[in-house]
Amino acid sequence: MDSNLHNNLPRGPVEKPDQYRLVWDLPLRLFHWFMVIAVSVAGITGFLAPSWWLDTHVVAGYAIGILLVFRIAWGFVGSHYSKFRQFPMAISGMLRHLRMITTGKSDDHAGHNPLGSWMIAILISTLTGLVLSGLVALAGQEKLGPLAFLTTYQVGHLAKEIHEFIAFVLLGAIFLHLTGVFAEIYIFRHPVLKAMFTGKKPMANLSPGMKTSAYIGRGALVFVVFGVLLIGVGASLAGKPPMGWRAVDVPADYKSECGDCHVVYHPGLRSKEAWQSIMAGLADHYGEDASLDEASVASISSYLEKNDAGTFDTKAANQMGKVNTPTFRITETRRWKRKHRKIEPSVFRLKSVGSKINCNACHEDASTGLFNDSNVNLPNGAQE
Amino acid sequence: MKPHANSFTLSTLAVIIFTSWILAGANVAFASPRQNILADYAARVKIQTPGFEGFSTDRGKKLFLSKPGTGKPDIPSCTTCHSNNPANPGQTRAGKAIEPMAVSRSPARYTDFKKVEKWFRRNCKSVTGRICTSLEKGDFLTFMINQ
Ligand code: HEC
Ligand code: HEC
Ligand code: HEC
Repeated sequence: MDSNLHNNLPRGPVEKPDQYRLVWDLPLRLFHWFMVIAVSVAGITGFLAPSWWLDTHVVAGYAIGILLVFRIAWGFVGSHYSKFRQFPMAISGMLRHLRMITTGKSDDHAGHNPLGSWMIAILISTLTGLVLSGLVALAGQEKLGPLAFLTTYQVGHLAKEIHEFIAFVLLGAIFLHLTGVFAEIYIFRHPVLKAMFTGKKPMANLSPGMKTSAYIGRGALVFVVFGVLLIGVGASLAGKPPMGWRAVDVPADYKSECGDCHVVYHPGLRSKEAWQSIMAGLADHYGEDASLDEASVASISSYLEKNDAGTFDTKAANQMGKVNTPTFRITETRRWKRKHRKIEPSVFRLKSVGSKINCNACHEDASTGLFNDSNVNLPNGAQE
Repeated sequence: MKPHANSFTLSTLAVIIFTSWILAGANVAFASPRQNILADYAARVKIQTPGFEGFSTDRGKKLFLSKPGTGKPDIPSCTTCHSNNPANPGQTRAGKAIEPMAVSRSPARYTDFKKVEKWFRRNCKSVTGRICTSLEKGDFLTFMINQ
């Protein structure tokens, strides 16, 4: 068994090839590289991409969540060096390690060294914080995901700020992690990067390693069990009606009387008082005569007031709907102007848009009142 | 062979007659609300102008293309929103498409009296600063029906 393992070891760079031992099992290595991919996708879409990449960002976030749960479980049921129990976390050991580093050396550790162990702990906890705050932000702001049924806009808004803060912390942690890896490789001459591919480390003082094929079946089982569980529970929670949002039908008279000149606005985009003022001033409606018979005015007003911004807890209702402006316009709220300041005026004049008040030209879900980031779709010929 | 052919021609003829009868009936039913609206305007004009000789496509066209300069500065003409050609779609100032005004392109137009009156009230006010007369309305509809 053991001799067989030795015969298959790579030859070449290290003088004593028979001292290579398998330290990182295959599930752990796969976890590591999938995590690298998922975090890169989430990082790029989160920091750099325009907001309508949110879908991709969220998928990467879900992947990170599943990977994290796997890693935490693997810290209990994985192979020897994957277990959290084996992490040398003691402060005294860490101080000794730090002292040694200042002398230009880093002693051999079969698994993680003390600094590395702390690094993993920090990475796992920042990533967990990111996934949780992301889920709450997604739920409160976009009314999406497994937590949408119990998250208010305010809580989601706070979570988004926390999410952004933790993202910068993670950037710092990744920087430290890479610094450590480079130091191990180039200063202390430990081939830790190669070990994350082959799983093997050249260790003189190591007890006999495990078989190359060890733990693959267990890893697959743990991954599938937790993956199915998380996706199942997540999907069933995500199917519940979100808090603070409901579908409202558009009455026929509202659609025909207010939809001839422009799109019909979701009632949650204005406050009760703003709707009352708009309905009272139809004879001079933004420079046009939009006067209506009294019966229609009464019935449309009652619909708008019954479903006004105060009755929704969405991003659009909170940021724009509940904010009154002197002209009663949505487009004059601070938030609307800020969110659309990067759009060239010429885009609003495109034939396919026509005007800034034509929300539906760019927001596929304008009629739901949700205005989700992922449903922004700039028309052809318009680049932000 | 021959009797067969005969009966074929006969039944084809019957089908054609029957179909055109149905179509004609539908056409009458379809046109009548619009004709009723026109007749209504004509009756109102006659009260004021006993010598009234009927609506005019030319006067309607002139109204459609004119720029009276007495309404809202941003809305100088019917063509501002309805485009210069009644057969073409127009666009509101808020960017929404308006179906062509010509009846040949939009057969459902001018069949709902309340709707027609509502838009004459609004649009005439915006463009000319005053309410359109029944004569102007009838001329305008006549122009559009003949487009
Ligand atoms: C005759 C055409 C017309 C009709 C009918 C009409 N509107 Fe408008 N509406 C306009 C125009 C024109 C603007 C301003 C367009 C611009 O600024 O580009 C506007 C703007 C608005 C705005 C403000 C959009 C912003 O800038 O945030 C609201 C809200 C609104 N309308 C509500 C209504 C409601 C409610 C009704 C039905 C009772 C209605 N409108 C019917 C022409 C109309
Ligand atoms: C020309 C296209 C265009 C039009 C028209 C438009 N928007 Fe937007 N809107 C955008 C884009 C692009 C964004 C994303 C901005 C960003 O996040 O960088 C956006 C973002 C938003 C947001 C999201 C704010 C957030 O916190 O993520 C809301 C709400 C919104 N718009 C409401 C409206 C309303 C209401 C109207 C109509 C009165 C409207 N928009 C018209 C392009 C448009
Ligand atoms: C500010 C834009 C605008 C201007 C200017 C305008 N219209 Fe309109 N008009 C509309 C809109 C919007 C509709 C309703 C949309 C529809 O029916 O497709 C409409 C509908 C109408 C209708 C009703 C059509 C029907 O199907 O029953 C008539 C009649 C009409 N307009 C006449 C006029 C006349 C006459 C003028 C010039 C004096 C004029 N319009 C100028 C925007 C305008």
